[in-house]
Amino acid sequence: MESLIVALFVCVVLALITKYFSIPAIPFYILAGVLLGKAGGGLLTNNEVSQFFSEMGLIFLLFFMGLGLKPERIASNRSAVLTSGIIDLNVNMIIGFVAAYMLGFTLTESLIIASAFYISSTAMALTSLIENRKLMLRESDTVIWLMVFEDLVLIIFLALLSAGNQNLIIFFVKIIAVLGILYALAHYGKEFLISILDRDDELPILFTFAAVLTTASFSLYLGVPETMMVIALGVAFATTDPDAFEQHARPFKDVFLVVFFVFFGVTVDFSGGANWFVIGAISLLAVVSKLVSGLLTGIFIHGSALSGLEIWANTIARGEFSIALAVLYGSPVVGTTIAAMVILTSIVGSFMAKYSGILRRGLVSHSRHKALLRRPH
Amino acid sequence: MSAMALRSLNLPGVGTKYEFETDKGDTVAIFFTKTGGIQMYTLQKGCRTPSAAEMSPVEARRLGNILTGAIIEADQESVEIAFSALADLRITIHTFFIPAAVVGKTIEELQIRAKTGATVIAVCRHDRNIINPPPTFVFEKGDAALVIGESDQIKTFEREIMVN
Repeated sequence: MESLIVALFVCVVLALITKYFSIPAIPFYILAGVLLGKAGGGLLTNNEVSQFFSEMGLIFLLFFMGLGLKPERIASNRSAVLTSGIIDLNVNMIIGFVAAYMLGFTLTESLIIASAFYISSTAMALTSLIENRKLMLRESDTVIWLMVFEDLVLIIFLALLSAGNQNLIIFFVKIIAVLGILYALAHYGKEFLISILDRDDELPILFTFAAVLTTASFSLYLGVPETMMVIALGVAFATTDPDAFEQHARPFKDVFLVVFFVFFGVTVDFSGGANWFVIGAISLLAVVSKLVSGLLTGIFIHGSALSGLEIWANTIARGEFSIALAVLYGSPVVGTTIAAMVILTSIVGSFMAKYSGILRRGLVSHSRHKALLRRPH
Repeated sequence: MSAMALRSLNLPGVGTKYEFETDKGDTVAIFFTKTGGIQMYTLQKGCRTPSAAEMSPVEARRLGNILTGAIIEADQESVEIAFSALADLRITIHTFFIPAAVVGKTIEELQIRAKTGATVIAVCRHDRNIINPPPTFVFEKGDAALVIGESDQIKTFEREIMVN
């Protein structure tokens, strides 16, 4: 219990500081866990309480993601979303996978690193677009829909990775059946759900919490991973009143997710036998590989490499989903590598997102200057 | 798409976007973000970088009032109400920002009622409203006064109290 209280207190301080400087908090939560955990003399240790909180954090993160995936919200410019999504997926998965495999990870480990390497932080990308007042830029639409695309790919990853040795067909039939049942419940019980959400006593928040937990624990009986179950619940609930559900689930998500980040940091061990070359190479490549995919997207979608630079700046940061993959499927070495990658990319990302405008203007004036010099007299 | 068409768009995870192009080719975009703020962007025709302003809901409503014309002048507004049943009584309510000359004086000292016939019915101070201020009420810097009276009385008020 003491560990949890120390962690929460540290997080309040960190949240205050990072909000003041408007920088992302996630890398600092992880760093706090690293510094106060194994590396810092074990002030924080993982125990049953923190384990439970962390698990809740992950479940509510995925429930939230499901809520955001409204079936009717399919983009009007579907081909652009598809093109940018496929460029992003291919470039980053391939670079991530090849790099991890060549640096000595096993096939499975490389696959998990590549997935974590591919998926940008939706939370950090969207916050940076809002806080840096970039919403009107045409590249912002691309970034926003790219995040939706990545979320969808993540669901497929989670399904594939958690299928394990099961028969894939049976596994997917089960998932589709679960989704169907939840969808039917949400559809036929819509009026009831909305009547509960409209109340102003403790019922809406109690119901939301209970629904998420019940769904997660039901997964044991059905043999479907709980991650899939809570995403499916979110998607089903999104057909009723997603804003109300978001509002009632937010307090849980906010608290549990912060604990999740800190105690993920606690499990990370940079001191014992961490291969700094591997960690550094993956982290740097994570920045470079999004530059490649960003530039390609910029050229293909907006016809401009400068647009690609803007897309890059806002998608460098890896975050919550990379960590979720590390926690769910990663070995300690994989976890440490992903932790370092998240910390480095989110710091570089927040910096680039803030100064991308200056970078773009600098490049434009530089090339104009060059063009003037080259002009024949 | 016609120039005036207003597009509204739901951006997943971000909020709602409203955008339209003016007849002259400038673009205005408003975003109601999930974080509770309202961002307004304007992009001049032929320009590449938009300029942005972030507002709280209260500030946005204020801007909305200005744009819809509810506020007549830039910072001072006036509403005239006609009561046809009461021999066509016309009452004007006007807001005034307190000038430096009035700061530190009371309503009694200024002889507002005697000189002008108008009445100060409310004062807005630091976004808080003081309804029906007593004669001993002292004006401070930044106050906005809501004055009620017939349109002539309001004009006198403006001439006698605000200008001097």
